[in-house]
Amino acid sequence: MNRLIKLLLVLTVLALGLSACGQTTTQQTQPTPQTVRETVTVRETVVVPAEKITVRLSGWASSPAETALLESLLYKFSVENPDILVKYEPITGDYKQVLLTSIASGTEPDIFYVDIFWWLELAANNALLPLDDLMATSGVSRDDFIPALIDAFTYEGKTYGIPKDFNTLGMFYNKALFDKAGLAYPTDDWTWDDLRAAAEKLTDLSDPNRPVYGFCTPPDPGRFPVFVFQNGGMVMKDDYSDTMLDSEAAVKAAEFYTSFRTAKIGALPSDLGEGWQGTLFGKGQCAMVYEGGWLIPYLRDQFPNTQYGVVMPPAGPGGEGNLIFTVAWGISANTKNPDAAWKVVNFLTSEASQKTVLESGFALPSRKSLQNSDYLKNNPNSAAIFNGSFFGARPFFWGAVGSDVNDQMAKALERIFKENQPVPDAMKQAADSIRKALR
Amino acid sequence: MRARTDRRKIVEALNGYLFISPWLIIFIIFSLISLGYAVYLSFTEYNLLRPPRWWGLEGYQRVLEDELFLAKALPNTFKYVLIVVPIQTFLSLVLAFAMDQNLRFQRFFRTIFYLPSVTSSVVISLIFIWIFAPQGIFNQITGLTVNWLDDPRTAFYVIMGMNIFTTSGTLMLIFLTGLQDIPLAVYEAAEIDGANGIQKFFYITIPMLRPVIFFVVTVGVIGCFQVFDQIYVMTAGGPLDSTTTITYLIYKWAFRDTRIQMGQASALAVILTLIILAVTLLQRKVIEGSGSGTER
Repeated sequence: MNRLIKLLLVLTVLALGLSACGQTTTQQTQPTPQTVRETVTVRETVVVPAEKITVRLSGWASSPAETALLESLLYKFSVENPDILVKYEPITGDYKQVLLTSIASGTEPDIFYVDIFWWLELAANNALLPLDDLMATSGVSRDDFIPALIDAFTYEGKTYGIPKDFNTLGMFYNKALFDKAGLAYPTDDWTWDDLRAAAEKLTDLSDPNRPVYGFCTPPDPGRFPVFVFQNGGMVMKDDYSDTMLDSEAAVKAAEFYTSFRTAKIGALPSDLGEGWQGTLFGKGQCAMVYEGGWLIPYLRDQFPNTQYGVVMPPAGPGGEGNLIFTVAWGISANTKNPDAAWKVVNFLTSEASQKTVLESGFALPSRKSLQNSDYLKNNPNSAAIFNGSFFGARPFFWGAVGSDVNDQMAKALERIFKENQPVPDAMKQAADSIRKALR
Repeated sequence: MRARTDRRKIVEALNGYLFISPWLIIFIIFSLISLGYAVYLSFTEYNLLRPPRWWGLEGYQRVLEDELFLAKALPNTFKYVLIVVPIQTFLSLVLAFAMDQNLRFQRFFRTIFYLPSVTSSVVISLIFIWIFAPQGIFNQITGLTVNWLDDPRTAFYVIMGMNIFTTSGTLMLIFLTGLQDIPLAVYEAAEIDGANGIQKFFYITIPMLRPVIFFVVTVGVIGCFQVFDQIYVMTAGGPLDSTTTITYLIYKWAFRDTRIQMGQASALAVILTLIILAVTLLQRKVIEGSGSGTER
């Protein structure tokens, strides 16, 4: 008896579940007329080959404007290639984490951004498709691209990514603050001595609520290496087997870099309550900052009244130095449609597409042929950042333990800034930690 | 006859499983299998891009030799637990005791104190970043010029304070139900015997609350050992690793570093589980050993 009741109960639950399913299906069948209308549209466009190839494309979304730019390029592509459907799936948040887990689970997009800082890990583990054969089929040559950029995505003689654009660092200076201090605007011929002298004159701490510093020196591994290069030093050995952060050239560079704050003519962005010096430059609280071309559209949107100029970073005792930041389009080694994926990549890195990107002011083209474009002639600020790539610039890449190298550089600077650790000790400690990670 | 009852038992058990199956299936797939896989991964070398390779105890050995783990993550985590758990337990007990009195606007205050607990920890983290910015409200009110979240000496304490602020509300609620469970007759008997308010608190309220205290402390300890999102949002383990905890180190090894070390990270996750298990058992011994009335 008891059993019977239980059985009945179970049956009722099941029946309820089934009826619930039944309800949803009836609900779905109601808008049948719409389905019919859709079939009609398909018939209209029957000229188009029936099987569309779908390729998925991912990148990080750094700003709505940049996303819109990519979407407009993809729209142009869809018009020219009706047989290929590109699904754009931007990844917000931690891009690398999402990408790696999707590769691990075999669900990665066909085409995705690869950053110079970690792409090698993907190539060395066979997650990226070598592109040389595909390039040959469409007559694209490595020589079409700026050598430093295409070389940066080459591993064991094979090309694993087509650089989509790049950036270097330029010295942004606030014209109003220079005028106020009675200083002539900087030029590309400036040296470290000029930089220091100008920082001294530009600093104005009379208003404690709104101090103005001559030069911002964030403990940022994406800025400091410029000074190491300019002092004739290196961050890593050429084969990335060892670090050179405890060499005399690097230690002296760190001493110079940190001396601005010690002398109260420079500050960290965090001293002024900001995470990024770009904001402080826009507000006129940092008269000079080293930033890339990304600062130009930011200032245009957020601080349209700030008058500024850009020159190459002042040379040090060892000459010119700069960092190259670049991102490439890579194709997954597991893609089912390598030819279609390549078509997309080739379109996005073509001269026409890169010209569109260049004219939007976001980044600089990786194609040699655009070096003499009118846009660069008419926009000296962008040209200064473009030209930076020719003067002692090295890729922002430190080998297999890159994140450790970055962490240690940042920590060494933080210890100097915040705990007054002697510079040689700080750099030695950083180098020792990196060597431990290399083992 | 015997066979019939056995069969009945089996059918009954099956019925039971059928009813809990929606939860059970989700638990097995998303908790049990994942947990088992994490334990397996802790014995392998795995970078997400190539299949895991058996490694034996190498991952564990690397964790136990890692400088960042030994010098920062491990002591930081224990420091966090030892500071946050006593304060939040005491504070929520006091709050619950106050809420248990016949105050005006009692419901209003209960809501106010509980509000931080239902707000997303990421949102609260952002609010705290603004409050403790160099030109933030806190410095403006106190007239200090400390850069709270960027100073290795202060950043961790701000995060601790925030965690106490957010969790005290929930714990207060648990204490409140515990307080209301204590029969009034016991208090009345004590009053007849001439006990004053303080005596009643220490000789009736606290002993009667012991099971609730054990629960609150256990939940608090486990939560504190697993602190992650606030650190991820507010300091990313910095400045100078002063806020790097075990969970943040797991994340760093598993996802943030250029060289992904999923196996080593899994080994640390297993170690953290063992630490929490050991501490919880120890706690139970201590609290049970100190008196009776823990049957629950």
